[in-house]
Amino acid sequence: MNKEILVDARWLEPPEPIERVLDALDRLGVGERIRFLIHREPLPLFPILDRLGYRHEVRLLDDGDFEILIRAG
Amino acid sequence: MAGLTYDQGPSLVAPLRLFLLAPLFLMLAAVAGIALGPDWLSGRWSPAALALTHLITLGYLGAVMQGALLQMLAVVLGSPMPWSGVLSWCGQLGLGIGSPLLAAGLLFGAPVCLGVASVALALAWLPFLAGVAVALSRALSGGEMDWPLRLAGLALPVTVLTGLALAGALAGLWSVPDLAGLVDLHAGWGLYGWILVLVVGVAYQVVPMLQITPAYPRRVTRALAWLLPAGLLAYTLEVLSGLPGLHWLGLAAAGGGSLVFAAATLTLQQRRRRKLADVTLDFWRLGLAALILSTLLYAGLGVLPDSLRTGAELSLGLLFLLGFAASVVNGMLYKIVPFLAWFNLQSQTGARAGTIPNMREMIDEAAGRRHFRLHVVAVCLLVPAPFLPAWLASLGLLALALSGHGLWLNLRAARAAFLAYGGRL
Repeated sequence: MNKEILVDARWLEPPEPIERVLDALDRLGVGERIRFLIHREPLPLFPILDRLGYRHEVRLLDDGDFEILIRAG
Repeated sequence: MAGLTYDQGPSLVAPLRLFLLAPLFLMLAAVAGIALGPDWLSGRWSPAALALTHLITLGYLGAVMQGALLQMLAVVLGSPMPWSGVLSWCGQLGLGIGSPLLAAGLLFGAPVCLGVASVALALAWLPFLAGVAVALSRALSGGEMDWPLRLAGLALPVTVLTGLALAGALAGLWSVPDLAGLVDLHAGWGLYGWILVLVVGVAYQVVPMLQITPAYPRRVTRALAWLLPAGLLAYTLEVLSGLPGLHWLGLAAAGGGSLVFAAATLTLQQRRRRKLADVTLDFWRLGLAALILSTLLYAGLGVLPDSLRTGAELSLGLLFLLGFAASVVNGMLYKIVPFLAWFNLQSQTGARAGTIPNMREMIDEAAGRRHFRLHVVAVCLLVPAPFLPAWLASLGLLALALSGHGLWLNLRAARAAFLAYGGRL
């Protein structure tokens, strides 16, 4: 499996979760992905990812948190 | 899943225009109160008290709530306000001209001022009402969480139309059959139906999201979905029919709803995940404590002797408007404005983390706290003012003017940071 960068931003105050993801995007290598964990669906992040050319998949976890997988588009 | 969808919301400029207008009216109300002397302390229906009340409700609270709703209906109902840029201009112009003219008209009994104020305020509110109606009609129902916002959306046109009818009647443009009843409807729907219920609807979203608390429990949102409209309905029927039993029914529903909301919010804030000092939290706690005290004072008005009642009614209005509504609104501004500034800056510049100010850096925490202290002084001196020497009321008004000035400077600082890092308004 390709390398995965984990960004665990559960229960952090906005906009720190989005800042952490943007920081991780800078470190993302070819074929790698970001696994982003967050306590609410981060709707403001998605248009930013689209504009920067990244794809994302959203999954609601059993405990109510969200997992977002982010890859280069 | 509900959440903030800022890609659908307006730019920073539309709400900020109104947010920057609002504190000017807080300062104007305070300076006018000092200039008028103790006249406004003689009772809530005195011309001076009515004038100052409308500078705060229309000029201050009205402008902030218009600005907040311009971006928040998209957030809460998933249905953005249409024509937000135009509505923001109409609000700025209409409230900017209409609020001081209405205050002057009420103060001096000047029909020309009241007539022109009615036209300006119609410009501020009627297009805004149309925007709210379009946004609400497009929105899908999200159940109990939406209820307060929909009820506030109904209370706003009732407040605006009864207000315009009253202003027109006082200007001599037309007559109304029951002036006193219309005044009661206007005040009740405005203060309770619009201000309190809107705060509840907004709190459901912003408290968990921005203060990192658990969501409001289902039993709370379900209870409030019944209690809030029941209180408003009973009050309205009481005004229209005069049946005494309705007063206690309305008091039980509205008072119970207020206490449930305040207690639930304070409990959630106690359980927030990050226990950092936060001026927003302080404003909210003060506001919710004032809401609890307002409810108790309202319930106790009936048993007070006549000698105390006039002063207590004025204290109740000050406690609700300055202690509760203004505190909560101030607290929200310290989250909403930095977040909008940060998000718009990030979106416009595509900046990486660390290269633009984060939310906490948009407004200096110490400056926010100075504003909070001045606000506390103003509330503590003005709420008991009807029972204190007049010079203490003037001191309270001075603190209110300084607190409005502090808020204005802090909002300007967020705007300056946004512009300094390449943001475009």
